[in-house]
Amino acid sequence: MKFLSVNRRMFALLAVIVPLLALLIYVALRSGPLAPISVTVTTVTNRSIAPVLFGIGTVAARYTYKIGPTYAGRVKRLDAHVGDRVKAGQVLGEMEPVDLDDRVRSQESAFKRAEATLREAEARQSFAQTQARRYEQLFAARATSEEIFTTKRQELQIADASQSAAREELARARSDQGALVAQRANLRLIAPVSGLVAARNADPGTTVVAGQSVVEVIDPASLWINVRFDQLRVSVLSAGLAVQIVLRSQDGRRFGGRVLRVEPIADAVTEEILAKVTFDALPKRLPPVGELAEVTVTLSALPALPVVPNASVQRVDGRLGVWLIEDDKPRFAPVKVGATDLDGLVQIISGLKAGQSVVVYSQRALGTRSRVKIVEQLDEVSP
Amino acid sequence: MISLAGRDILHAWGKFVFTGVGLGLLIGVTLTMAGVYRGMVDDAKVLLDNSGAELWVVQQGTLGPYAEPSSLYDDVYRTILGMPGVDRAANVTYLTMQVRQGERDVRAMVVGIVPGGPGEPGQPGYLIAGRQITRSHYEAVVDIVTGFKLGERIQIRRNHYTVVGLTRRMVSSGGDPMVFIPLRDAQEAQFLKDNDAIAQQRRRTAENPAFNRPVIPDLLDAVIASQSINPYINAVLVQVKPGFIPEDVAETIRRWKRLQVYTRVQMEDILIGKLIATAAKQIGMFLVILAIVSAAIVAFIIYTLTLGKIREIAVLKLIGTRNRTIAGMILQQALGLGIIGFVVGKIAATFWAPIFPKYVLLEPGDALLGFAGVLLICALASVLAIRAALKVDPAEAIGG
Amino acid sequence: MADMRGKGIRIEALRKRYGKGDTAVDALKGVDMQVAPGEVVGLIGPSGSGKSTMLKCLGAVIEPTAGRMTLGEEVIYDNGWKIPDLRALRRDKLGFVFQAPYLIPFLDVTDNVALLPMLAGRSNAESRKRALELLEALDVAHRAKAMPSQLSGGEQQRVSIARALVNRPPVILADEPTAPLDSERALAVIRILNHMARQYETAIIVVTHDEKIIPTFKRIYHIRDGKTQEEPGEGRAFE
Repeated sequence: MKFLSVNRRMFALLAVIVPLLALLIYVALRSGPLAPISVTVTTVTNRSIAPVLFGIGTVAARYTYKIGPTYAGRVKRLDAHVGDRVKAGQVLGEMEPVDLDDRVRSQESAFKRAEATLREAEARQSFAQTQARRYEQLFAARATSEEIFTTKRQELQIADASQSAAREELARARSDQGALVAQRANLRLIAPVSGLVAARNADPGTTVVAGQSVVEVIDPASLWINVRFDQLRVSVLSAGLAVQIVLRSQDGRRFGGRVLRVEPIADAVTEEILAKVTFDALPKRLPPVGELAEVTVTLSALPALPVVPNASVQRVDGRLGVWLIEDDKPRFAPVKVGATDLDGLVQIISGLKAGQSVVVYSQRALGTRSRVKIVEQLDEVSP
Repeated sequence: MISLAGRDILHAWGKFVFTGVGLGLLIGVTLTMAGVYRGMVDDAKVLLDNSGAELWVVQQGTLGPYAEPSSLYDDVYRTILGMPGVDRAANVTYLTMQVRQGERDVRAMVVGIVPGGPGEPGQPGYLIAGRQITRSHYEAVVDIVTGFKLGERIQIRRNHYTVVGLTRRMVSSGGDPMVFIPLRDAQEAQFLKDNDAIAQQRRRTAENPAFNRPVIPDLLDAVIASQSINPYINAVLVQVKPGFIPEDVAETIRRWKRLQVYTRVQMEDILIGKLIATAAKQIGMFLVILAIVSAAIVAFIIYTLTLGKIREIAVLKLIGTRNRTIAGMILQQALGLGIIGFVVGKIAATFWAPIFPKYVLLEPGDALLGFAGVLLICALASVLAIRAALKVDPAEAIGG
Repeated sequence: MADMRGKGIRIEALRKRYGKGDTAVDALKGVDMQVAPGEVVGLIGPSGSGKSTMLKCLGAVIEPTAGRMTLGEEVIYDNGWKIPDLRALRRDKLGFVFQAPYLIPFLDVTDNVALLPMLAGRSNAESRKRALELLEALDVAHRAKAMPSQLSGGEQQRVSIARALVNRPPVILADEPTAPLDSERALAVIRILNHMARQYETAIIVVTHDEKIIPTFKRIYHIRDGKTQEEPGEGRAFE
């Protein structure tokens, strides 16, 4: 009775304090280090996954023809421009002949002189032959001395030799002339195959050295992709596998292709395996040489095994495994992993069975003594 | 005997609670400041925990890779793998830079990790959404602090990456969120600049007659190619075989490979002792000042509350109340104020801590310490008021 | 003269000196006074006459310089010797009624009065019972659970009188109890004081200069320049 007014006050104050304290306790237990850790789980299922290999490559032309002179010289004219389509045998340009024409003419004269020398040698030889025969007859009739006979025979041999020399001299002059003519022909830059002019490295008037390329021609039909695959898990890469190609400039369009070959020499520094991939059908708009391409190789599906998302697999105390939830408590189960696919599914070779519940995502790192709470989706991740 | 303090509080409870709330906010700020400090230390520890490494192999003579830049050739890890006691070794690069997404960019620590199987050192230990990186290029796992969502495309230097996974509490010691990308891409990002700069560099190389020799047509291409690769990484993260002591393995690597190796304990010292030491001292000083200010304000409040009751105190003394009883009343009120203030402060701190851009860690130990501190300060503050109350002359009640 | 033995208050040759040496001031220069139980006397004097000093000595708030004070059966001061626990003395042997009620604002009416017996060590239930008795006697029991701020001035004054009486002190000091009141109320207060004095056999000293109530006293002490002089009062009956 006495306490009524006092009690009312007390009640009002408690109505403020008690919820405050309750809030405090709630706050202490729900957040901060004492709170349970939210986790999401998934059931292990038996699935067969198709491993996919992924590599980055650049578009390249299979053959690039770098056309240039075989002698140092000056570019006289260049008719080809980058992007022109050329046919096999087409003349793309020409180098300055300089003194080559004069040298050809001089060589012609040398050839004619060699011809004349040959005729002279032949004349001498026939004369020497006649003389040798006559003196042979005379010697047989003892009308002349042996010395003169021997001399005439020797003159015949000399004349034979001179004739041979003159003949070879003529051949040599012919060869030299052939060589100069060939060189004169070489002054012309000729496209070896039909294709596209890809580069023009020197303009008319530029002096170039032997071996320097003036014009580069590629065959656009021979475009392929030079792909690099990370060395891990590519033991199954082999020629003939079907691939999908995505070009950087044509994002979203997938082109079909095939692995042409796996290079026998890998890149030791970057630890990558090189392969060549061809298009099944060239894109309508030809990709420029050097463009980046992403290549995915889908391998054949492996037999079904328990699979888990790769977010579930963690390394704890040096062992690879997953966290299972048993009786609301986490337990770490070591596993052996097999192949993975590019979507993040990992095969479990041993350590798990289909139907078990494994932790996929957790708010914090789990330990054997953590308090956990299974939720549908973690709070921080908005749908 | 009734409780005078209790009755006074009940009578003027509005004023009391209001004062308590004000005091509570001040206490909340102090608790939060302590949480900021703890958060900084936790960031450093979390960085070390998340790397999954027991040893850090860095350039000789540096405190890297977090406290100082460190550069190693990326094939060093092969020789380390061969050393006794080494279970796993993986290259890693770190670069703090701006990561762009759409119109905005975010400061992040870009970590280049080896996209091998799960559990390689350097990879994020656990995810909150998505999956780990499976492709060797152009995929990223980001921390949720960046604000990026699954499936978004982010830009790092010249390349675009698709976000395939989200993590939580993967931050650098400075509190910047981490973005994990494949090692090759990270090496390129660390080294290659944007397209304009690369074009400039090529032009300069082409103008250099030493590199641009017509007699050797492919020389220029070879030089430019060599300039465009980056064979460096920042550190090799090592996990030690069970049964081996990390320090022993570290010593072996140090002696035979001329590299600097740090164990977990040493890295913690470096991070906490050198990297965040200055910031920690700054916050520590601020915390001390806050505590002093809080104490002063509490003392002032209690003193004022007491002075407002001087007449009642004089009457109480006159009618024969013990000094002890009066002192007890003031002390109880001070403690009650402290308790209300602490409860309000703790709740406020818990609710506004997640809003801070960097991690704020409110430890229960700190809260208990804070509670004890608040009570102590209230008790000491009440001493001043009690002295004033006891000095009151009961004769004051009797008019002049 | 009533029988003084056992109760009431007696003061003999009381002196009070403030300060020392040349600057010393004698506020009281030998005061004699005695009040019998049941008596209500007036103490009248202008300001500066030592009236407040007298009150403080009577209220055991300050210590006199010389003289003798006897309260009830106890000598509480004798020329330098004083009873050690003044506070307990005030609690148990003195009651105070002030110009303003001076009720504790955060205690309700009952607890305001019950506080004194609680301070004396009685149980809460007992203290409240006593308090209720007095509140009934003073006709404010119907406001027993109200807070002081909810009472009228007259009701508050009656509660303060109840508080002064609750421990049955032998002496009650009333300092200008009627100053803010009108004549009807003032006389009512004096009536109550007289009634209570007789009922509880308490000696009441009323310090006042209120013309309205001075005629009611049977005995009056005039204090001037530190000395008192006793005079018979009109003793006019009221009501």
